[in-house]
Amino acid sequence: MSKIKDLFNSGKFKSAFIPYFTLGDPNYNDSIEFGKTILDNGADILELGIPFSDPVADGPVIQRAVARSLKNKFSFDEIFRVTKEIHLHKQETPLVYLTYFNPIYHCGIQTFLDRAKEAGVVGLVIPDLPFDTKESETLFHELRKRDMDLIHLVTPASTKKRIESLKKTSTGFIYYVTSFGVTGERREFSVDLKERIRFLKDTIQLPICAGFGISTPEQANQIAGYADGIIIGSAIQRVIEENGQNSPKTKDVLADYISKIRASIT
Amino acid sequence: MGKNQPGYFGEFGGRYSPEILTEALEELESTYQKLKKSKKFKKELEFYLQNYVGRPSPLTYAERLTKHWGGARIWLKREDLNHTGAHKINNAIGQALIAKFMGKKRIIAETGAGQHGLATATVGAMFGMETVVYMGAVDVERQNLNAKKIEMLGAKILPVTAGEATLKEATSEAMRDWALNVSTTHYIVGSAIGPHPFPTIVRDLQSIIGKEAKSQFKKQNHKLPHAIVACVGGGSNAIGMFHAFLKDKHVAIYGAEAGGLGPKPGEHSATLTYGKTGFLHGTKTLIIQDEGGQIVPAHSVSAGLDYPGVGPEHAFLSQTKRVDYRMVTDEQALDSFLEVTRIEGIIPALETAHAFHVAREVAKDLGKKKDLIICLSGRGDKDVTEVLRLLGERSK
Repeated sequence: MSKIKDLFNSGKFKSAFIPYFTLGDPNYNDSIEFGKTILDNGADILELGIPFSDPVADGPVIQRAVARSLKNKFSFDEIFRVTKEIHLHKQETPLVYLTYFNPIYHCGIQTFLDRAKEAGVVGLVIPDLPFDTKESETLFHELRKRDMDLIHLVTPASTKKRIESLKKTSTGFIYYVTSFGVTGERREFSVDLKERIRFLKDTIQLPICAGFGISTPEQANQIAGYADGIIIGSAIQRVIEENGQNSPKTKDVLADYISKIRASIT
Repeated sequence: MGKNQPGYFGEFGGRYSPEILTEALEELESTYQKLKKSKKFKKELEFYLQNYVGRPSPLTYAERLTKHWGGARIWLKREDLNHTGAHKINNAIGQALIAKFMGKKRIIAETGAGQHGLATATVGAMFGMETVVYMGAVDVERQNLNAKKIEMLGAKILPVTAGEATLKEATSEAMRDWALNVSTTHYIVGSAIGPHPFPTIVRDLQSIIGKEAKSQFKKQNHKLPHAIVACVGGGSNAIGMFHAFLKDKHVAIYGAEAGGLGPKPGEHSATLTYGKTGFLHGTKTLIIQDEGGQIVPAHSVSAGLDYPGVGPEHAFLSQTKRVDYRMVTDEQALDSFLEVTRIEGIIPALETAHAFHVAREVAKDLGKKKDLIICLSGRGDKDVTEVLRLLGERSK
């Protein structure tokens, strides 16, 4: 059974908190510190971004984070080294990667998955790899062999037919994109968010975690009322952007923000 | 979607875009399938192509260039004579009509050299649609005349400052806009790139270039040409020119891609020469990338060829060797630009100048009494300031 499934079955929380940040922003060693801080303050699953030069599903905050990260020389060795350090800090917290498909394909699917697993990663989110492609099927089978999960995105534009057909190759949890557009903080969410998440829960027997646009404890609290998890990326990345390199202040602000969100959804 | 399903050219193509766009892409695909067979759509498209774009474009025998190069007879398919000055309008008109049939009131586009942005702004004005054009900030600078024209036509230009601030970034930004406004907006992709069905739609709409060239040449010469040449960035004029000839195995086909300043990564846009299989902007194709799978910034003297990917059908045609793709440096393109201007009295776009360089080589190899058609994809008015600047640098 996958680690993510175990976690959601454990009944440890009402709603999971899944923070995201981009590895390598502003550098790889600082990423280790940020990862540890986030883990210590209440992440249930941690999503680590592998930077890609052309992140079409991401808004300006994460685009800037990726650009800062890529100013360092990108290397898979560094990605896996940093991931492992974060994993060893708190091994019980599942780590997942969020990245675009090109770097994975370029690394080689087998090599990438073996090394990711070895570094402590248990699942993948790939915003530009639709489930109905040959590559997604290959990836899904390779992940299953390793007890790892392929986490699919479902959006307000996904049809019922499509949702039905992605059930077969979906594991871990569903990443429900709360609104149209790209990642980034928003003031309002679509009016039928609650109904859509209910429908998804009834259709796919997996936890439904909501992301894209959530930033405040109030929003997290509201959505946790009907979602199995809350995913926050841009707001966390903004803390890193605004407070600079590995200053004690960055870690303090991160710790404070993460613990507030965690508390708001308990 | 699988390897042998629609949208793939061999292993290339497909649909690798964010989930939020899938529904719109499926709607576009099914609408297009219906419209392709609809007499009303065909009639309307034909009407605008004839009465607004100015088709058919002439096939001009280039007597002076033929003599000057001393090889094969040179023919020019004159897409530069289209309204707005390039082949881009063929696609923009067609896609604007598709958007109209889908009930979308807003159109967006990405542009490099500005020709596609200009074509989109033009059809936006004509059909009364709100139009937004994404253009790299660097390109707004080097293609300033087109940028100004786009604004004059009532479209909004949004300069993109991320990354290298050129076509790649403009394309990413247009995709993001589409993800946000997908229910009201049609994204008029400007080249034979992007997720399925875009490479097919753009190819079909541009294939009029090759169809006309073939029948015009046949009418005048009662045979087919020996070779055809076009320039390739994303590759829409080229695929439009090539498509009608692909099955005519005895017609040699050549593509000219931007060799830029040299072979080092970051100095060229020679995707078909140096690219590796990967995924960018919704399609599986050849891409210039580094050992980490990060996309390497492209370079070309011509903003329209300055893209690190290429249309998936070209990747396939390169793999099967049906088309011979060759690199042309910035210097060679600039020389051809001046040569064609002075010898033939036609100022070609810097993009097209790449095709002329390859054509010169091919014409020599073919020898006399053979025939070669060059797709003159666009005119070079937009490039005059940039060319003068480059010549100034050269004389220093």
